[in-house]
Amino acid sequence: MICEDARLLIGADPDGAGPGLEEHVRGCEDCSAFREEMRRVNAAIRRALAEPPDVRVRAAPRAVPRWREYALAAGVALAMTAGLAVWLLRPSDTLAREVVAHVEGEPDSWLSSHGVSAGEIGHALQRSGIGLDLASDKIVYAQSCWFRGHYVPHLVVETTRGPATVLILRHEQVRAREAFREDGMTGVIVPAGEGSIAVLKRGRGQVDDLAGELRGEVHWLAEPEPAPARVPMH
Amino acid sequence: MPAPVSSIGERSRAADARAPLTALFESMRPDLLRFAHWLARDRSLAEDIVQEALLRAWRSREALKEPAAARAWLLTIVRREHARLYERKRLELVSLDDALDIPDKAAAANADAELLTLRYAIMRLPIEYREPLVMQVLGGFSTEEIARELELTNTAVLTRLFRARSKLRGLCGPNSEPGAAPREQPA
Repeated sequence: MICEDARLLIGADPDGAGPGLEEHVRGCEDCSAFREEMRRVNAAIRRALAEPPDVRVRAAPRAVPRWREYALAAGVALAMTAGLAVWLLRPSDTLAREVVAHVEGEPDSWLSSHGVSAGEIGHALQRSGIGLDLASDKIVYAQSCWFRGHYVPHLVVETTRGPATVLILRHEQVRAREAFREDGMTGVIVPAGEGSIAVLKRGRGQVDDLAGELRGEVHWLAEPEPAPARVPMH
Repeated sequence: MPAPVSSIGERSRAADARAPLTALFESMRPDLLRFAHWLARDRSLAEDIVQEALLRAWRSREALKEPAAARAWLLTIVRREHARLYERKRLELVSLDDALDIPDKAAAANADAELLTLRYAIMRLPIEYREPLVMQVLGGFSTEEIARELELTNTAVLTRLFRARSKLRGLCGPNSEPGAAPREQPA
């Protein structure tokens, strides 16, 4: 067993044991010390979890009774019908605002620092019928998000200039590159294939490189059949 | 012929038979609530989850063959209820930025403060790290059981647990160098 494997096992279960691990730890001072430290960490975690989290959090969205979901669905449908004309005639910068608002709604996405699994990335893309050539180890956040009536891939990509958020908008067409700066974010929306791609960064920064790179790496596959009607909550 | 009506004696015997199981479930309510609370990060939601889970458990009580397995069985139902009622995406919508800022480490000069800091940090862990950690430490699930329950590979679970502890490691003592986190294998 090599040190990397031993540390994975120790970090995953500091109190665990196995013949291979024990043999390695006996002969490796560093891993032995690492195990001692992780056991202390684990004891602290155990103490921390022993009580319910006495932490005030902002009110979480609550599960609603089924009848209220149906009522809400009816209301949403009515509102969508009534607002259809307005929606079709919306000014082009509304898309940028909604993109920014969506990203602000997922603040945790900026906090991700480690890669997500290929399965999670695949799930986020396949739901929208999107293929992507980008190396998966650059992607630190991947979700399939409800946006303007469709599921869209919401990714955070680690770049040399810090994390950048990417929304692949299959159903949103723009005629030309649109740059925007809003609520402390800088971004562009560029035409791509049959839709567009939005790329955003916090603060000021250059995102055109990534947008250009993505235009060549996104593939528009057959869109999967929509799931049974359900009230989108996000 | 009218359907036979159960006598008071029969109903009483049925109630007697249910009593031990009811007591067993109720005795585990605090554990279940704590487990749900760490998953959902909201007390009232955790209470709803546990209530619904106990109801489901009661309806399918025939599936519980051994009382000794009740704890793991109930925790599994709670976890699934959490996943079912409170989708991941909606969970992530809860902004913790204002309420859950990790206190300055310099201020965490005593054991209580360190514990509080650690609680904050656990609350801030993304669900993909917090869930297996809580299942393992609080629920007592093995890596293999977590992998089965979360539909992940065993290696993916090991990696997530490793990363969860690596993220918390710097808050638990003088040695704060982060561990070398291995890449997660595809689930």
